[in-house]
Amino acid sequence: MAVERDDVVGRPTGATTVHVERGPVTAFARAVTDGNPVYADLEAATAAGFDAIPAPPTFTFGSLGWGAFTEDQPEDPTGGSNPMGEIMGGLMAQGGLILHGEQEFTYHRPVVVGDTLHHEGEVVDLYTKESGDRTMTFLVIENRFTDDDGAPVVTERFNLIHRS
Amino acid sequence: MGIHPTPILAWDDLEVGAEAPAVSHQLGRTDLVRYAGASGDYNPMHTDEVAAQAAGLPSVFGHGMFSMGLLGRALTDWAGPGNLTNYKVRFTKQTWPDETLTTTVVVTAKRDEDGRRLVDVDASLANQDGEVKVTGSATVIAA
Repeated sequence: MAVERDDVVGRPTGATTVHVERGPVTAFARAVTDGNPVYADLEAATAAGFDAIPAPPTFTFGSLGWGAFTEDQPEDPTGGSNPMGEIMGGLMAQGGLILHGEQEFTYHRPVVVGDTLHHEGEVVDLYTKESGDRTMTFLVIENRFTDDDGAPVVTERFNLIHRS
Repeated sequence: MGIHPTPILAWDDLEVGAEAPAVSHQLGRTDLVRYAGASGDYNPMHTDEVAAQAAGLPSVFGHGMFSMGLLGRALTDWAGPGNLTNYKVRFTKQTWPDETLTTTVVVTAKRDEDGRRLVDVDASLANQDGEVKVTGSATVIAA
């Protein structure tokens, strides 16, 4: 492997300030076929015990693209070189396929419209497995989302698999 | 801010082996495009039939995260939005347009933790032939 585990574990993959807005939340709920009115209607959300419209369980995974406004982004912690791109890009240069193998969400509290989330991504593991004459490279990333008070909201952990 | 919703699952009535109501959905190409737009994942293997076939695939295929979202709907329809503490899956097979995807959610354990009544479930999504697309587990909060 071109990149050694010890060189990459602990390296940041990015940092983002994410604004959770009503339109994208409602559109995301529709996109996963979820017509529950709590995702679109404040009265329904209030009746369910929320003060604001909540986001569906997998919303944060796609939220970086929607909710990252240019004016309040933190400094890029990668120094301009994202280890995800380095490792998977390096492997793909020799061909193969990248798969999303596993995805986990740990919820410390629900995400709701009006939240400003502070995201930090980090490489937490890198390993390979041989499968027949193929090499499978597993890159494990953790994305942590905290609120304005620094309290944890959602922790995501996922892997990308390169199959040679 | 009141952000913790009211749990709706009746703890006392739940038994290990109990199943949440199944959610079924026939996957259409519009679902793929809508999910691409809502998530920002415009990988052409999900949205561009010409590019997918040029790459040797029979057609576009579904986002894994759409499958996880659909299975997540089965969890929140049952336990109520906001009542999850953990949800994880492994993506085992690709999904294809016109497949009918159906969820299975089964209670595996009940436990009390820090004053919360938690219910562990196994969760999976399979097509009309029983081919498993996503397999995983979750923990939900009951009343």
